[in-house]
This record gives sequence, C-alpha cells and structure tokens, in this order.
Amino acid sequence: MKDVYILGIESSCDETSCSIVKNGVEELATVISSQIDIHKNYGGVVPEIASREHVKNITIVIEECLEQANMTMDQIDAIAVTYGPGLIGSLLIGLEAAKTLSFIYDKPLVPVHHIAGHIYANNLIKPLTFPLLALVISGGHTELVYMKDHLYFEKLGGTLDDAVGECYDKVARVVGIPYPGGPSIDKLAALGKHEYKLPIPLNDDSYNFSFSGLKSAVINLAHNEEQRGNKINKENLATSFQDVVVEIISKKTEKAIVEKDIKNFVMAGGVAANRALRAKLEEVCKQHNIDYTFPAIRYCTDNAAMIAAAGYYYYKQGRISDKKVNAKSNDKLN
Amino acid sequence: MRYFYLDTTSSYLYTAIVENNKIVDEVKKKFGRDLSAECLSEIEDMFNRCNLKPNDIDKIILVNGPGSFTGCRIGITIAKTMAWGLKIPITTISSLEAMALNGDDYSYHIPLIDARRDYVFAGIYDQDNNEVLKGQYLKRETLEIAVSNLGDEYVYITNDDIKIDGKVIGYDPDIIDIVEKYKDKETINPHAIDANYLKLTEAEEKLNA
Repeated sequence: MKDVYILGIESSCDETSCSIVKNGVEELATVISSQIDIHKNYGGVVPEIASREHVKNITIVIEECLEQANMTMDQIDAIAVTYGPGLIGSLLIGLEAAKTLSFIYDKPLVPVHHIAGHIYANNLIKPLTFPLLALVISGGHTELVYMKDHLYFEKLGGTLDDAVGECYDKVARVVGIPYPGGPSIDKLAALGKHEYKLPIPLNDDSYNFSFSGLKSAVINLAHNEEQRGNKINKENLATSFQDVVVEIISKKTEKAIVEKDIKNFVMAGGVAANRALRAKLEEVCKQHNIDYTFPAIRYCTDNAAMIAAAGYYYYKQGRISDKKVNAKSNDKLN
Repeated sequence: MRYFYLDTTSSYLYTAIVENNKIVDEVKKKFGRDLSAECLSEIEDMFNRCNLKPNDIDKIILVNGPGSFTGCRIGITIAKTMAWGLKIPITTISSLEAMALNGDDYSYHIPLIDARRDYVFAGIYDQDNNEVLKGQYLKRETLEIAVSNLGDEYVYITNDDIKIDGKVIGYDPDIIDIVEKYKDKETINPHAIDANYLKLTEAEEKLNA
C-alpha cells in the first residue's frame, strides 16, 4: 500500500505548530513555536496577542517543518488543520494558511477536531485499539470519551464547570506560583502530606466532573489560614488538592472501564503530563488487565503531530472539506 | 506582469487579478463575519473563472491594515502563504493609502476607518497621495481639529457608518489605480509580512500604562 503523508497545522491557542506524519503513526518532523513567554506577562493567554503572534510565525513554522522532514509540498498527500474548538482568532490563522496551501498546491483539505487530535497523540506511541476510553484533561477540557472504532466518539461525561487544568492554575495562583502553575503543583504535591481537608467534588454515580467547588474550597482555606495568621504550607496544600483530584478522576475512569467493557485506555491533553494521575491510572489499568497508552510529554500540550495523526484517519474516511470551512470556537466531537 | 490584489481589512473583500493595466477579474463584496469562511473560496472561484492557476501570478499586492484586526489577519495569512509557497514577490500597502486614492476632485482626501469608542484610523492625503497628516490611530475630535484647517477642499472616504461633519463618500477601490501606483514598491520577505495594526492590544496598553 502506498504511504500517506499528512501535513498538519495547529494554532488553536498559543502554540503555532506544523508537523508531517506518515500513515497516521510515524512522526517525521514537528515544529512548535510557543508563545508562553509572552503570555506569562499577562497571567494567561491574551487572545488578541496570540492571534498576532500566529500571523508572524505561521509560514516560518511550515517551512522549518518541511526542511526538517527533508520533504517538499509535492510529496504531501493532504493538509490537516485544527478548525476548532479553540480561540477563534488563533484558529483562523492556521485554517487560512491550510486553505491557502490546499489551494496553491491542489491538495485535499482535512479539518480536524482539536480533541480528536489530542486523543490521536497516543496513536504516535502505539496504534489505538478498541473499544477505547479516552480521558481528555487540559486547561479547557475534562472529558471521558468512549470510542468503539476510529473517529467514533461518544462523550460519556465531562466537567460541568471548570476544566481540571484551569483549577490547577488557579490553585497555583493561590499559593503564589505564576501562570501556568499546573505543572508546579504536580511537583510540589510529591513533596507534601495530605493535611488539609478538602471535599471530593461531585462524588456521585455519573461520569461528570465539577471543579469550581474544589477551587473555591482551596481559595477559602488559604484565606482562612491567612486570617488566623497561619502560613499556608504550599507542599501540603498541593498534595491535599492533587490527592482529591486524582481520586475523583480515577474513580470515574475506573467506573467507565468496567461498565463499558474497555480494552484500551488513553490519556490526552496537557494535564495528561501529571505524574500522580499517570501513576494512579496505570495502577487501575493493570488491575483490570487492560491495555493503556499515555502520550509522550511533548505530545500532551498542543502540537500539530496529533492533528496530522488524526487527520490521516479523517482523510482515509474521505472527510475532506471545500475552502468554505470556518473556524469554530466550540464544536461537538463527532 | 500579472498581479494579485487582496484587501480584507474591512468587512468587504476586495480582490482582483490585474494584467496590462486591466482587470482580468475582481470581487468587491461585503461579508462581515463570514469573511473567514468565504474569502479563500471567492479567490479560488475568481482564479477558476479566469482559467488561471495561483502560479500564473507574478506579484502580490496586499493591503495589510489598519482596519479590522481579524480581517487584516485573514488576508495577510492568505497572501503571505501564497507568496511563500509560490515563491513570488509580495508588497504591502496601507489601507489608508489605498482609500486615499478615491476622491479625485478634492484637494485633501481623508480615509476614515472606525476604531470604536470615538477613535478612528485616519490620515490626510493630498491629490498626489502624499501624507499631510500621517495615517494613525486617533480620537475623532483630534482629527476634526486637524481637518478644520483644510478649508472646504476635503472629502472623507469611508466604508463605515461614522457620524462626522463634512463631505463623505463611500470607499470603492479603483484597483487598477492602486496597482499602477504601488506595483513597483519594494518587495518584502513573505515571513516578515505582518499587519499594520497602528494600535497595541488592550492588554499591552494596560501593561505599559
């Protein structure tokens, strides 16, 4: 069978990225231009600044990617691009660039859902097998997704309010760690003890999550300690918080594994880099004797390799678009 | 020489293929929020109507702002990706300079773009399109004071619904005129093409304050 080379483009938030992936499984080159140092000054991603940076970087990133792969556009079979969800102004840059490449080189255009991309980041580690459960956890998402086959997505449940990554960043801010603080909380948590009492959020029989109550509980706790003149122990607060998060996520994940007769579990998104969560979910998978894949750390954050990997299956299924496809800040995964 | 002209800095799409001082084909159409969905499709249709391929173009003339931030970025991304991919020269011109080429009979041409909250992007140009007042982001009142020294020989050119005293005409680009005037302007490395925003983002303004 002829090899298929997909060029992927991702610009949904604050990373401009281009990647070339062979047959949906083999990453040939990936270039990521991150804006994190710029947005750090503002305590979070500023959408207008992100859009402005994408415009500056987009053609440079594409050129570098082709150079690294030692390929020309003639050798590319299709162009995959994130159309949503994400920041609309940011998405538009990648999408317009992809449409233009599709136009000038006469290549098929394949719009890819950003979350499908995150799930398919795992395909670059080990080909997905089904029925599969994906735990999508990032600054914008906390979802359990069931897949009975390629590109078949059924959302079992998700957060009713804040995403888990958002909650991590907020807790980091409470203890005085600058944006993005999530990864630092994971590190601090390894050093502390579970001494602060925090509620287990939405501890029910659904597949849904809720993190806004937990976030408030942490803020209140820090505030009350301060009022009493007590210094917050950062490590212990991080451990107490992370223990609660890991407990509720692993509980609901395990429930889905059992009830949906899952054979393969994957994690996706920025929070999939969290070490405590990885350790706990690995244990759960081993207990139930199922296959599992965790994305490489470099594939957890936004990148175009995952978009090109998912794009291969969209392309194979003929999910090709004309040039009228628009960016969507919100769109259901289906 | 065959030129591709593109201006998406307002709610209108203005694009054309120009050859030997003639319009081969053009699109002048109001889109507003649908611009991102329709723009490349309109360009593709225009090339198809002319039986031309993207690599039949010799040079790109891009209007890179000021104007709608998102609008600017749509056209810029398309044009710089084309120039980079096709390895053809590209040059940029200010939307205010392009607009100032309208309004022949008046001594002073004042292109005007709504920048909201009583601010505008504007400049004052003479009949040869020389800057009398540099194109900039300014309070509407400040512009009106500058304009009050010009006598009666001026006209505002705008696409926006702005209440302002004085003669106002709607902007309708004479693309042949624009291309003829700017076709030999210095070319720019496509990677370096960026928007001429004339305004920092609000977050940057606050940080600098």
